[in-house]
Amino acid sequence: MPRLGLLQRPQPVTPQAGPRGSGTSTFWIFSLGSAMLLLMSWLLPWFVRPTSSGVGYSPMDVVTSSPTGIGTILVYILAVTMLIMVLSPVLEIAYRLRKEATPRRFDTLRGIAAVIGLVSTVAVFVLARIMREEPLFGQIDSHSITDSAVWLTMAGYIIAAVTYGARQRVTHRPSLAFGAVALPFGLLLPLMFHQAPDFILWAAESLAVYMLLALGLNVVVGFAGLLDLGYAAFFAIGAYTCASLASPKHSIHLPLWVLIFLGAAVASMFGAVLGAPTLRLRGDYLAIVTLGFGEIIPDLATNNVGKLTGGPDGISSIDQPALGPIHFGTNKEWYYWSLLVVVIVVIILLRNLERSRMGRAWVALREDEVAAAATGINTTSTKLLAFAIGASISGIAGAFYGSIVTVVTPQDFNFSVSVSILSMIVLGGIGNITGVIVGSFALTFVIFWVLQNLNEWSGTLGQTINVPTLGNLNFSQYTYIVYGVTLILMMLLRPGGLIPSRARQIELKSGGEEESLAAVQGRA
Amino acid sequence: MTGTAAVLTGADAGSGMPVLELREVDVLYGRVQALRGVSLTVGAGEIVALIGSNGAGKTTTLRTISGLVRPSKGSILLRGQPIHTLGAEKIARLGVGHAPEGRRLFGRMTVRENLDMGAYSRKDRAGVRSDFERVYELFPRVKERSGQLAGSLSGGEQQMVAIGRAMMARPTVLLLDEPSLGLAPIVVENLFAVIREINQGGTTVLLIEQNALLALNTARRGYVLEVGEVATSGPSQELLRSPEVQRAYLGM
Repeated sequence: MPRLGLLQRPQPVTPQAGPRGSGTSTFWIFSLGSAMLLLMSWLLPWFVRPTSSGVGYSPMDVVTSSPTGIGTILVYILAVTMLIMVLSPVLEIAYRLRKEATPRRFDTLRGIAAVIGLVSTVAVFVLARIMREEPLFGQIDSHSITDSAVWLTMAGYIIAAVTYGARQRVTHRPSLAFGAVALPFGLLLPLMFHQAPDFILWAAESLAVYMLLALGLNVVVGFAGLLDLGYAAFFAIGAYTCASLASPKHSIHLPLWVLIFLGAAVASMFGAVLGAPTLRLRGDYLAIVTLGFGEIIPDLATNNVGKLTGGPDGISSIDQPALGPIHFGTNKEWYYWSLLVVVIVVIILLRNLERSRMGRAWVALREDEVAAAATGINTTSTKLLAFAIGASISGIAGAFYGSIVTVVTPQDFNFSVSVSILSMIVLGGIGNITGVIVGSFALTFVIFWVLQNLNEWSGTLGQTINVPTLGNLNFSQYTYIVYGVTLILMMLLRPGGLIPSRARQIELKSGGEEESLAAVQGRA
Repeated sequence: MTGTAAVLTGADAGSGMPVLELREVDVLYGRVQALRGVSLTVGAGEIVALIGSNGAGKTTTLRTISGLVRPSKGSILLRGQPIHTLGAEKIARLGVGHAPEGRRLFGRMTVRENLDMGAYSRKDRAGVRSDFERVYELFPRVKERSGQLAGSLSGGEQQMVAIGRAMMARPTVLLLDEPSLGLAPIVVENLFAVIREINQGGTTVLLIEQNALLALNTARRGYVLEVGEVATSGPSQELLRSPEVQRAYLGM
């Protein structure tokens, strides 16, 4: 009855009205992410004990002690725009609860506010440099909190500007928008948290390594639907390959660039070896077998099988590579840049793989093994390939890890590593590459930054409110509580992850288990 | 489905060699014997029905042909070539299309993606495109639903997609496992009309049915399976007249 439409008020077509797509998820992650970054940058200077270098611990300090007029204006601009950005998600939630679309004029307003905030932050940055009589470009004062705060603020405003200024694009082309925000973020990461350069660099490198691991595990668990609880084993194999072939241990010194490929090859071989006997297993049974494999590999390394692995002490003094004249041992940040390149290449390859024939075969296999076999999919080689590809990415990560830390020991690859990688993909969204990136970033950020700083923050808080015991808390030992709580909360609240993949979304709505191929064949 | 398939089946019919032949096939599920010396032949361009009660081994027979289940004894020949040692994916590529029991669609893929999976092992893009058209022509309903998730379709539509998916591999032999299961009589009638149409296009059909009357009216010949063994076989009209078949399967 089309006539009736004239009498009705047209329903606004909004992301909120439609099904929860990954576009809205991306929007929410951006919105909350920018608010959090700004909040942190704001709180950061308040929670860190002043060190010796005097001027300029917070943007506020810098600004208020600069020539009066500019300073006051900047303070107000920053305060107002930050407040807008921090309250934005609240506004979104309010409109969502009323089941209405956020008016577009608000988006435009917020976009403009974010750009103004960004410009003011750059002004603060320049002022801070002038005040501290530092050059505008070049070596940054490594003890300055201001720089961290400034970088965080800038990142927050940039994300906010993209989120609200180009909201339609963000919701319609989520992965493109995500890439556009994530790439510069990744490039700026080591600069952003400049409070203790070595530690932040180590955190950024760990993030890249964990991101690779999560992307690799996602191939096995997300794409092919094979639950692997012993994924750290392949990480270990990659790391030990690197350690054995680039250290005085066996007097072999191959460059890292060769070892990346060797590590990938050796790990994928082991992936196939593990895959072969587990082909007929599914679900719980497969998980248990992989769990066993994940225990065996570090144990073999501990027992120094064939005198190859150096026992409990592992292998030390692993070579650090060079790229032309740049020595990675002395220029640690180059590990991060090369890892970033590897992560980007892996992401591009995996995206193509997901859309390829093999990707479709994995989806079919996950859906219904019997039907997949009947349509001409070789279930054996398809599964083995998932294991092998997943393992090879882990092998690359392992080779880098070995080279970065220069010492590998069996304890580095115990069960908890497998659990943390799994938590990352569960948090982000199993089967969704964007989700996996978000998940690995979020968890590494909490573990390496929030938990580390919580010690200091609670100490300061304890001093302020006169509860000195707060200073004795050691939050960095609560890593596994974070993983545990993440897994529980995600399963309860959003089982598809922060950005669920399309298949998972449907799966969670319909549910249901299919008869396995092994059952059909009368083997299980 | 004209093209090569028709030429092939024509040649086979001329030489008198059956397209599909089972010789003394035994299947064991652990210690349980599901099939006992099953022999059957399917000639080129035929529709052959396999009838029998629950647990008689009909589905097992089809699964054995398509390689999902391995025979413990006996042999299966496709156009004279033994296939019982091959994997399911190889058999599918050799031209055995299987629309399995319970349809088994990829419920979280769209109808189009399901059909596309049927053509998984094919490389000829143009051929696949024309087969899409062919399937949409046979099942206009499937075309209407092509963008929908397969899991959201009605039973009849799902069965059409299942047959369509099997057809996308351009099979010489199409194995249909209880296409009428759980469908309304009018839907079943339409479905069987299309099955006959597919057969007239040159595809040989081996059909399982609980509804023996429908099966035998559609097929040229039939086999009756009882507890894993071929109890009787013959041209459909003969089976329909046989007192035992009438009593056991036609309820007369």
